[in-house]
Amino acid sequence: MFAEKALELIRELKRCVDGTMSPYNEDAVRQVLDEMKALFEHNQRDVSAAVAGESELYSSVHLRHAGLERNKRCLLAYLYNRLENIKKMRWEFGSVLPADIKYNLCEQEVQWFNKYNKMLANYMRSIGDAGGLDLTQDMKPPKTLYVEVRCLVDHGEFETQDGNILVLKKNSQHFLLRSECEHLIRQGILEHCVH
Amino acid sequence: MSSDTDEMGGDTEEEVMTAAEVLEKLEEAWLNEKFSPDLLETKTDLVECMLEQITAMEENIQRAKKGDFKISIHRMEIDRIRYVLSSYLRIRLKKIEDFTAYILHQESQRKEEDSPLLSPEEYKFAKEYQTSVEGHFNSLALRHMPANSQTLDHKLTVIQPNLDNYIFLRVNEDTQGILIEEETLDTGEEIVDLEKGDQHIMRYRPLAPHVASSAVSLI
Amino acid sequence: MAKQTDNYFNIDGILATQEKIPCKVELPIYRLGYLDSSSDSDDLLPGTKLELPYWMARGLCSRRRHIVSIEMPKQYREGYREILTADATVVDLHQLGPYFYSFGTDLLNFDHPEVNDIAKCLIKTMQTRIRTIMDSSQNSFKLDTSSITSKLDEMEKHLFNAGQHGLTEFQKWETRETEKLVTSEMVKKHRKRKRIMMETS
Repeated sequence: MFAEKALELIRELKRCVDGTMSPYNEDAVRQVLDEMKALFEHNQRDVSAAVAGESELYSSVHLRHAGLERNKRCLLAYLYNRLENIKKMRWEFGSVLPADIKYNLCEQEVQWFNKYNKMLANYMRSIGDAGGLDLTQDMKPPKTLYVEVRCLVDHGEFETQDGNILVLKKNSQHFLLRSECEHLIRQGILEHCVH
Repeated sequence: MSSDTDEMGGDTEEEVMTAAEVLEKLEEAWLNEKFSPDLLETKTDLVECMLEQITAMEENIQRAKKGDFKISIHRMEIDRIRYVLSSYLRIRLKKIEDFTAYILHQESQRKEEDSPLLSPEEYKFAKEYQTSVEGHFNSLALRHMPANSQTLDHKLTVIQPNLDNYIFLRVNEDTQGILIEEETLDTGEEIVDLEKGDQHIMRYRPLAPHVASSAVSLI
Repeated sequence: MAKQTDNYFNIDGILATQEKIPCKVELPIYRLGYLDSSSDSDDLLPGTKLELPYWMARGLCSRRRHIVSIEMPKQYREGYREILTADATVVDLHQLGPYFYSFGTDLLNFDHPEVNDIAKCLIKTMQTRIRTIMDSSQNSFKLDTSSITSKLDEMEKHLFNAGQHGLTEFQKWETRETEKLVTSEMVKKHRKRKRIMMETS
């Protein structure tokens, strides 16, 4: 049956649960493109013959054409859905991808991540007249001005808006402005302590 | 709001609104954008106004004495406004990414006198985003495909928002004669009147122009 | 009215259109005999019966073309329709599906005498089952849902999960858990996977 390799790519996507990406399946992609080439060449041959009089070959041409379209759809959907995941990574992990995730992306996907990062940064900077607005912050409605946090990993020095320098040592506790440490909580560096 | 920042000018054509009124309008725009399936008209004037408000309040904080209670109030207000603004713009960005080709097409069909769908910055982002995605498809797939398959068939690939989604709404102004179901072979057409204060759940499509005109708000 | 799975890039849409349809070859299809695993012929000859995925059958059987004719798959035929009419809530739609509604709706594109009855059956089935799905999504805790969801078709699963999500969000709001800022789920899972990888290496 045509487009079986292409379908494997889609099944691969379906299997991936939130947050994971399987390695870019260069092998399968190449096989899909090879099948498309073969289908096209067979069709070219049959169309020439059909035009020359063997019109009963058109049925085969239609069938192979359906196979071509199906392969194309699966391949593009594979790329598209991976891009959606990569975008999600930017919003969840920040502008630097963890190395092990980067490892699963092909070179063009890494380049696309960088492009997206840049586009996003340019857009955010251009909002309003005064330096922009970081849309990757303020992800949740603010309940309190200050939050109590506990440090989960050593993170070095941190300068607060008031100019104080804190040492974010593992297990140390601090009282910080919610707005300046929200991203550290989302990144798993700090833990919000509620009572 | 504190007396330092009472009056805020909007466009020269509009009446001068207080900062509180602008925030209320922004919150309404935010909720409408959140619950509508398609992208609504851009409200850059509200966004810019609230950003100026934030800047003004940050200046107040700098000027105030350390320990002044006003600082906390300003800071909390800034946090709140920033959240609404960010959320509003994020929602719009997501729609722009999901429906890029559709939105750009709509914008290109827009008449001079109609309000723009996208702010100039959003338009730039949309264009760049579309180019980057199509470029990506091209480099990894399309250019390696047989001659006749190398382009994206827009009839197939343009993703459109589903305007037939159901939405919750609150009626702000009495509105008569909304055609919500067209006449079919089996049923007649269905026309409703909406009364101010009513709340309903209905299909978005027939209500779209009334959301744009603020006759109804999405909740 | 377009459905979400008609979206060109939608994964479920692609999987749903892979579902098989019983077909009969009407015009000879030369040199593609290998698509029929049960025959040795070089060509697909008229009269041959074989199952083809929806996307292929659709290309071969339409208003313009009649290269194959189609039969409705058995789960949409009268026998099963009667079972669904009797009591739709007890039927395992995951087994009949898992894309029972999506594939069923696609089948309505064919010019076939049973199309109206299938359409009515799909609506009736959904109407009957939705109540139970809604109720159970609002009354179950995360732990014992697999026994419920294992009998749902994919679309029903999405609805069920949406219901669950709404329920947990509401509970979190009630207990003020939403006020707590949390590590992004993606980051948490990533850390966990990394830890597991390091422990096993």
